[in-house]
Amino acid sequence: MICCKECIDLLHDYLEGSLAQETRDALDEHFRECPPCIAFLNTYKSTSRLCRETLHQIEIPDEVRHTLQNFLKEHKIQQEGM
Amino acid sequence: MTFTQQKEDKEIEEALVKDFQAGNLDAYDKIAELYQQKIYALSFNLMRNQMDAQDVTQEVLLILFRKIHTFQGKSAFSSWVYRITLNACYMRMRSKKKEPNISIDELLPSFSGAGFQQEKIRDWSKSTESSLFTNETREVIKKAVDLLPEKEKVVFLLRDVEELSTEKVSGILDLTVPAVKSRLHRARLFLRKKLSGYFEEYGSPKGKI
Ligand SMILES: [Zn+2]
Repeated sequence: MICCKECIDLLHDYLEGSLAQETRDALDEHFRECPPCIAFLNTYKSTSRLCRETLHQIEIPDEVRHTLQNFLKEHKIQQEGM
Repeated sequence: MTFTQQKEDKEIEEALVKDFQAGNLDAYDKIAELYQQKIYALSFNLMRNQMDAQDVTQEVLLILFRKIHTFQGKSAFSSWVYRITLNACYMRMRSKKKEPNISIDELLPSFSGAGFQQEKIRDWSKSTESSLFTNETREVIKKAVDLLPEKEKVVFLLRDVEELSTEKVSGILDLTVPAVKSRLHRARLFLRKKLSGYFEEYGSPKGKI
């Protein structure tokens, strides 16, 4: 059986589905017998999801949007005047 | 987003870029509208400062306007925009004094000599439904990402937050595919460890869940 370290080292490729079948089977076997690594896998996946959900919510604040609009408008007038 | 829709979006975008290159200013407005949210979000996540993110967004929109004729379509237009955005952020970050990065290695998992898990690992993944999020939780997550060293942070933001492919990120950052994968993995390990400290308490019997 592969050890926990090998298993954790391969998590990225495991989730991406890019491991060779044999290696993948070895990880699946490890997960069946190692609850700590299952916990690690689950929380590793949650980490990405949580960060995405939190950071994806960044919206342009109204005042910034307003500034950007004015900036573009002014800039266009300059360009057209050229 | 479906594949067909992605394909349509890409075609619309390519048409807009061509129109703008041909001198159509309305096409530029549409491009700016399409991209300002992405530019702002990435800059803000990288610098965590509204004023800086606004300045960078303006700067990038201006560069897109002035340099559009240099875009040759060898890579995707979006890759080009991301690259310009990152360069603008880096210039700004370099001019500011920054706090020393903490070492990522200290937060990587530790194993016994035989390679087995040494720490007690609790599975807090079930207690993280986003509907239960408080502002405090969001702040903890943002702070954890802020602590990432720059190299890992930018890969993490492009891959896991913006959800770009490994190949695309490797093109934008001029890194090999294995380097992108390894940085992403290290970033995830670091963040997992940081968030564990918080969620293990959050999901404990004393807490609500
Ligand atoms: Zn294990």
